[in-house]
Amino acid sequence: MKVVGARIPRYDGVAHVTGRTTYVDDVSVPGTLWAKALRSPHHHAGITKLDTSKAESMPGVHAVITWKDVPLLEYGHLSALGIPADEPLLAKDEVRYLGQPIALVAAESEALASAAVDAIEVGFEERPALFDIRQAFDSESPKIHQWGNWYPHFEGEMDVRQIRKGDIDRAFEEADTIVQGVYRPAAIEHAPIETQVCQVVPEPNGRLTIYSCTQALYFSLGVVAAHLQQPLNRFKLVGGTTGGGFGGKVDTATETMTCLLVMKANKPVKWRWTREEEFLCSSTRAPWHMELATAVTKDGWILGQKMLTLHDSGAYSRFSPYGLTKHSFHHTGAYSIPNLHFDGYVVYTNRTPTTAMRGFGVTSVSFAVETHMNRIANELGLDPIEIRLKNANRIGDTSPNGIAYTDPSTVETIQAIAQAIGHELPADYRTMTNEPRTGELLPEHLVSQVGSTEGH
Amino acid sequence: MAVASVASDAATEILMPGSEDEAIAAFGDGTEVVVVGGGTIVVPDMTYRRLRPAKALMLGNAGLSGIETDGSRVTIGAMTPVQALVDLKAPLGPCASNVADLEIRSQGTVGGNLCAGEGYEAPRGDLQGAFLALGATARSAAEGDVTEEPLEDFLAKRRERLLLSVSFDEPAAGAFAGLDRPHTHDYTALAVSGARAHDGTLRLAATGAGSWGARLPSAEAAAGDPAAAGEAALQDVTPHDDALASAWYRTKVLPVLVRRVLAELKESA
Amino acid sequence: MNLTVNGVAHEVSGSELAPLLDVLREELGSMGAKAGCHQGGCGSCTVLVDGEPRRSCLLPAGYADGTQITTVEGLGAPEDLMPIQQAFVHYYAAQCGFCTSGMMLAAQAYLDRGGTDDPEAIQHALAGHVCRCTGYSKIIDAVAATARGDSFDLTTTAVGKHTTMANGGPE
Repeated sequence: MKVVGARIPRYDGVAHVTGRTTYVDDVSVPGTLWAKALRSPHHHAGITKLDTSKAESMPGVHAVITWKDVPLLEYGHLSALGIPADEPLLAKDEVRYLGQPIALVAAESEALASAAVDAIEVGFEERPALFDIRQAFDSESPKIHQWGNWYPHFEGEMDVRQIRKGDIDRAFEEADTIVQGVYRPAAIEHAPIETQVCQVVPEPNGRLTIYSCTQALYFSLGVVAAHLQQPLNRFKLVGGTTGGGFGGKVDTATETMTCLLVMKANKPVKWRWTREEEFLCSSTRAPWHMELATAVTKDGWILGQKMLTLHDSGAYSRFSPYGLTKHSFHHTGAYSIPNLHFDGYVVYTNRTPTTAMRGFGVTSVSFAVETHMNRIANELGLDPIEIRLKNANRIGDTSPNGIAYTDPSTVETIQAIAQAIGHELPADYRTMTNEPRTGELLPEHLVSQVGSTEGH
Repeated sequence: MAVASVASDAATEILMPGSEDEAIAAFGDGTEVVVVGGGTIVVPDMTYRRLRPAKALMLGNAGLSGIETDGSRVTIGAMTPVQALVDLKAPLGPCASNVADLEIRSQGTVGGNLCAGEGYEAPRGDLQGAFLALGATARSAAEGDVTEEPLEDFLAKRRERLLLSVSFDEPAAGAFAGLDRPHTHDYTALAVSGARAHDGTLRLAATGAGSWGARLPSAEAAAGDPAAAGEAALQDVTPHDDALASAWYRTKVLPVLVRRVLAELKESA
Repeated sequence: MNLTVNGVAHEVSGSELAPLLDVLREELGSMGAKAGCHQGGCGSCTVLVDGEPRRSCLLPAGYADGTQITTVEGLGAPEDLMPIQQAFVHYYAAQCGFCTSGMMLAAQAYLDRGGTDDPEAIQHALAGHVCRCTGYSKIIDAVAATARGDSFDLTTTAVGKHTTMANGGPE
């Protein structure tokens, strides 16, 4: 293996430092029109009127698109994973988040495109908005999604992602104490230095060349083809160079609409989001609400854990059911907890739809679990590193969804951290390994864990 | 300066005077004129279409930049870059250093900063408090008439007049204390400037505790007892909520900053 | 208006209030300066104006009239990289690369005014430049190494101050 362990330079390093790397906005095609979007100024409203005729007749305006121009208005990006479509490419009867795109204009300059957007006549009937996921379940809260306020299409048409493992009631009975905590990380902006941007060029042979900043070329190709009801080979997708994405450039947020403008105008079109659009309208990492109740013995063994998660999907599903599912599989963090009771909901609010961001679904639970471990250590008066080593995953332990660990590095990692921060460990903790549990590291409550694939 | 007209997308008329007199004439009574200092505030507002001026008065060539000293009297031209103040004594030096970053300080001007209108986050006008604490006067023009007046009087009409320069007497001692900024892009969330003149007059002023910089007369009156002065300062301002800090937080921190400034002034006695 | 960009003189039309960034990119086809925010908040539009770093998204073209502008394309070519460029390659100081041209130009100006390898001084000089990829430490390592006059082997990556856990601890 020539590369693993070697220190090799980036293949694009010289390109980056000489300004030769070509990002989407650096693609310059003569005759390119500027795109601008009409976006919802309301968090939740019915659309009572949408008249683009004035904009269309302005000199220098070559195309205006609305929902009527989209061959397949709603497409489930993760339909292959069983997540049905719920989001229109362009708003039709209503808007559900501030910034939701309603119409797009392609014109000969940025200023003209903006002026044309201002000339679109649109009427709204405001509706009450829902922002707090905890209130989504109140019968008095506004109903903001066609499926209700939370996602109902997990397997078997369940409305909750559940994990049940072992005997949680017994764990809670046998515990010396129950430690509770509520953890609510906020939404996080990806904020890449390059904003969302797309350039589409109509080719003489009838194909469309799409210069895209997507992180997921083939995925985006499929999404565009599905919305436009065209064969895949109608499009040539040029990408792979992104000015930062971090999960925020997987939503295929610009490509389809830019293609539609090109199909109407028969000229190249570029759509570059402003930094304000990037902050206000692009998808974020989801906010979460997590409640943990952990059954522990006084010497720091974790017998069982109950967890409730509410994942704020924003106005539409996008990838949230998938993110919550990953979250559920990892909801014990790096630790072996044999008795589990997990309920997770994908909840809708009138916020910008949320999406993937590095560690999608899992960073939230890592934050909760690690903070909670410190809380447990505090309440029991135990060392926070020793309590982690005690409960750390070992060979043969199983994850919440029943996968047996073959070589977890948890123990080694925690020991390395202890050394790096100068935290002295007692000898028996210094010599722990990830070998299958035996002796004192195999108390009764962990016996059933080892080598078992029992689980939900 | 008059509120810019959000006109049609007709091109903005550009005025680029080559001298102070030409600038005064071009400004006229300020109607429909947007004054462009360095451009750090106006240009992004135009890019984002919040500002579409009928006329833009670009002052870059009007010879209004420079720091002149006449004995102990210092006069700073309105087009002096903020960066030129960074090495001056407190409160101006540390106040200017706390503005944005090197690139923006080098392009942004004293005049543009002092005359800034209200922004979207903290009130702009980071330098207002420091100059108020120095007892500065402002020389400005409107309708061809040039006036020099106390800075606090000018600030109330800063959008209607063309600022030419500010002047102050070097103090015997100066001090500055401000909230740390989360990011260089942020305007001053809250800061207190103080100065003691050679005749013993003590001035304290706050930036970020209201629409624009303001003196703290109640704190000045109680300056002999810093703890009391800190609390008294709250009578002089009405803190607000914005993206950088809540009114509640400003109310908690303002007395602390006042005490720090008074302590620093006492040390340099 | 007359702009000299990387030594080549250009006459440009348009409003004196147009941001220099848009003139560079759209009128002159010079793409090195990036449009990250058009608010002066990210630094990716930074160019040198008569040797000093400025936010081209904030600078009215009229104020750049008659000046010498340096963009990243005016630093070294691939076969003749300047030390700061070599350092950025060697230290992995660029990941997505979008902030890189602004970072290097601001860093070069810092070095030209006698900047040292003091990490705090480097941070202060680059304070207005945002990077969402590298976490900044490799950028600081690269600028510090350049300030020291280190030589760079571009066939490998450097082990910087913050990038190793030698003997179980940071260097």
